Amino acid sequence: LQAAIWQALNHYAYRDAVFLAERLYAEVHSEEALFLLATCYYRSGKAYKAYRLLKGHSCTTPQCKYLLAKCCVDLSKLAEGEQILSGGVLNKQKSHDDIVMEFGDSACFTLSLLGHVYCKTDRLAKGSECYQKSLSLNPFLWSPFESLCEIGEKPDPDQTFKLTSLQNFSSCLPNTCTTLVSNHNISHRQPESVLMETPQDTIELNRINLESSNSKYSSLNSDSSMSYIDSTVISSDSVPLGSGTAILSKQAQNKPKSGRSLLGGPAALSPLTPSFGILPLETPSPGDGSYLQNYTNSSSVIDVPSTGAPSKKTVSRISQAGTKSVFSQSGNSREVTPILVAQTQSSGPQTSTTPQVLSPTIAAPPNALPRRSSRLFTSDSSTTKENSKKLKMKFPPKIPNRKTKSKTNKGGITQPNLNDSLEITKLDSSIISEGKISTVAPQIQAFTLQKAAAEGLMSLLRDMGKGYLALCSYNCKEAINILSHLPSHHYNTGWVLCQIGRAYFELAEYMQAERIFSEVRRIENYRVEGMEIYSTTLWHLQKDVALSVLSKDLTDMDKNSPEAWCAAGNCFSLQREHDIAIKFFQRAIQVDPNYAYAYTLLGHEFVLTEELDKALACFRNAIRVNPRHYNAWYGLGMIYYKQEKFSLAEMHFQKALDINPQSSVLLCHIGVVQHALKKSEKALDTLNKAINIDPKNPLCKFHRASVLFANEKYKSALQELEELKQIVPKESLVYFLIGKVYKKLGQTHLALMNFSWAMDLDPKGANNQIKEAIDKRYLPDDEEPITREEQISELGTDESQESSMTDADDTQLHAVESDEF
Amino acid sequence: MTTPNKTPPGADPKQLERTGTVREIGSQAVWSLSSCKPGFGVDQLRDDNLETYWQSDGSQPHLVNIQFRRKTTVKTLCIYADYKSDESYTPSKISVRVGNNFHNLQEIRQLELVEPSGWIHVPLADTHKKPIRTFMIQIAVLANHQNGRDTHMRQIKVYTPVEESSIGKFPRCTTIDFMMYRSIR
Repeated sequence: LQAAIWQALNHYAYRDAVFLAERLYAEVHSEEALFLLATCYYRSGKAYKAYRLLKGHSCTTPQCKYLLAKCCVDLSKLAEGEQILSGGVLNKQKSHDDIVMEFGDSACFTLSLLGHVYCKTDRLAKGSECYQKSLSLNPFLWSPFESLCEIGEKPDPDQTFKLTSLQNFSSCLPNTCTTLVSNHNISHRQPESVLMETPQDTIELNRINLESSNSKYSSLNSDSSMSYIDSTVISSDSVPLGSGTAILSKQAQNKPKSGRSLLGGPAALSPLTPSFGILPLETPSPGDGSYLQNYTNSSSVIDVPSTGAPSKKTVSRISQAGTKSVFSQSGNSREVTPILVAQTQSSGPQTSTTPQVLSPTIAAPPNALPRRSSRLFTSDSSTTKENSKKLKMKFPPKIPNRKTKSKTNKGGITQPNLNDSLEITKLDSSIISEGKISTVAPQIQAFTLQKAAAEGLMSLLRDMGKGYLALCSYNCKEAINILSHLPSHHYNTGWVLCQIGRAYFELAEYMQAERIFSEVRRIENYRVEGMEIYSTTLWHLQKDVALSVLSKDLTDMDKNSPEAWCAAGNCFSLQREHDIAIKFFQRAIQVDPNYAYAYTLLGHEFVLTEELDKALACFRNAIRVNPRHYNAWYGLGMIYYKQEKFSLAEMHFQKALDINPQSSVLLCHIGVVQHALKKSEKALDTLNKAINIDPKNPLCKFHRASVLFANEKYKSALQELEELKQIVPKESLVYFLIGKVYKKLGQTHLALMNFSWAMDLDPKGANNQIKEAIDKRYLPDDEEPITREEQISELGTDESQESSMTDADDTQLHAVESDEF
Repeated sequence: MTTPNKTPPGADPKQLERTGTVREIGSQAVWSLSSCKPGFGVDQLRDDNLETYWQSDGSQPHLVNIQFRRKTTVKTLCIYADYKSDESYTPSKISVRVGNNFHNLQEIRQLELVEPSGWIHVPLADTHKKPIRTFMIQIAVLANHQNGRDTHMRQIKVYTPVEESSIGKFPRCTTIDFMMYRSIR
């Protein structure tokens, strides 16, 4: 019955699963059954059911606890979740080691969850400790790393993403079943994993393998294991692989569909395997690192912190033609690892396991010619071919024996088709050939292969980790640099491109950012995660058509994502319909109250509608949710600036700057505030810094010119403004300021000329200031003729000339005024 | 008046809003009327629908009071009136008064309408030609066309000039290049 339930779960037939699980639980009131039922509820999306169920009954097993804690966190009952995991705030808290011991393989996920709870309840130190520990247990997890970066810690990617820390790696070996087959069973035991819809053949093969070991679970296994294949083969270089890759990628695409974020994943493992003590040692697939956000499943699948699960599992998997565990199992060379990594990446997210990866290699023998990047094979081709032939001969006889329940071993059939171009690595073949002989040798081989695969993944994770870390510390240029050096198949994925787009956005290079984001939309138009930044970019660029298209698309696609509503809000804000924008931002907050950016945007809208109190509240909310959200600090600073509380404004801008030191816009603002505080020297320094960081920012130069003007350094101000005129010739403000400078210098005709240019460039004519500036030109004329004469005499200009000019200007001014309504 | 010219209709205020130079702030104010027929009150006056209108139900002058929470800068008033549909209910003489409260109102504008057929823009400026800052605005309908007693008013909008969010006491920028760097969002 359990097998049936797992099978149903694996096929996402939740209603069947729930029904059966309820029957099972009614029949057998065991903790295991309880857990199974709760898992069914949770996976079908009803966390509250799982929560109430588990709460109603005592749960002592780790997986029950973990699932209950997860439900608590989902339902925002953070204190309860924490209590379950670590004994609560008031009681004596368990140390992390206790937790590790208690939870075994799911310790890394437990710690990650605990870290999350701590961070949300403002205990960042403890939270980061948890995350670190979780990462040390299982370096394949990306989300603890991400969370660490976001709370401002700087985890070292090199330290974090390395295999040597995998304690369990070796321990897995001995535990690996004595038979390869049994290993398969174990691997298959990971039902929770994102079961990918594996092609029939793979399932078949697995089934075969499973049969031998544990018939009870065979069906389960077959379903689950296959999915691991996800190895989206990335090798693109080789021509022969070309077709393979195409197929692979297609298959890879299947995976995403099948995989779902299995939150209860880890827990699933344990209950079902009382006999599978080995399970804990299952190696997480390199793909588990699945940090690829597209497939984020981070913790769910992998429980096993270390790569433990040796290849054994992989053996069963191998057959999958579909599963292209592209993992170049060849432990032969490091160079392979990038490819491997790539592959693992693709497969990663959902599959929990490396085992799958390895499986191809081992399973390869029969028909399975795992796809490998051509690079891998070039050296080994000849030998592997030979070996594979040998293996083919050896294995087929075995397989038919095992075929008990399996319907058809399509694997064998399909594989040759697909894998014509593929070759098995030498190592694989050797493993395979040995496999028959002893189970130990292959294990070791598998182990090495696995290690290699994992190592490849690690190096990719390291790079991406570095890039992400740089971005979170707002070293945007560096982040862009690092991320651009990723292999192109990774580069052209939504996650990476979004990070790069965000980096450009933070650098205020909106054109570049827009370009990148539109690329993301082209490649992955189902992605919403980075889209709020894209919408703001379009807002800055004032591309209303693109923005409205984006917002319509996003809201149609996913009404439950705050990003979509933020985009809609931005769209209306650009149309200056602030009330509607406010409504949409409030909706975004309703959809996800933990989404800081929605609060920030709402705050900006309130500022635009002059409701400063509400705006203050919004920005403060944003900071409450995410203290490192420098936009919110900036917003607070702006409000205080508007209210002329300059020192408060400066303080807030400084806080924002501490978080993001590279922002020239922020520095510009600080400069202006300092100038308002009469600290003009400092202001100039700050503005100089801003210009150094980003010479393309015209406002910095403008403000520098205005500070110089206020300090009566007219010549330098003029110089600055002339440069600015070259950069942005159509900006009326520039001419306005030039006019003012000339006026101060007494060159009235030039001043007037510039003022008139300024007015021309600003046809909306709302610029009373310009008019006033011109008016003031005349006030002295009318009211203080003496001073006027003084001025004139100072300048040495011809009085008559000036007066004639002023007359002309007068008429011009009147004409302008009449145009306005 | 000999053959007075008809009051020409003004531009749709929505276009004004889109220029970004003004912002409608009627929502920040409390509106009240001297009298109204049930179902034809403030809501109909402020519902953005030109089909619905306010109909007064008392003696002249009919008043629309707009009270703000704080002293607000008001640049323009926009009133929609249409002689063809309202005929004798169309206002013909409107007085705009501002002040701090009911006892403190001063007339700053008086306008004559002759068969209006659209939006009427009423710029409100003080002696220095700047938009007025006030707590309260009162629009009084002193007379209607054809000497009608009650009046219909279809829509009223109040606009305030948009202050630049950019820092520094400068007028707004005109190019996108400047505007991009103006703020962090």
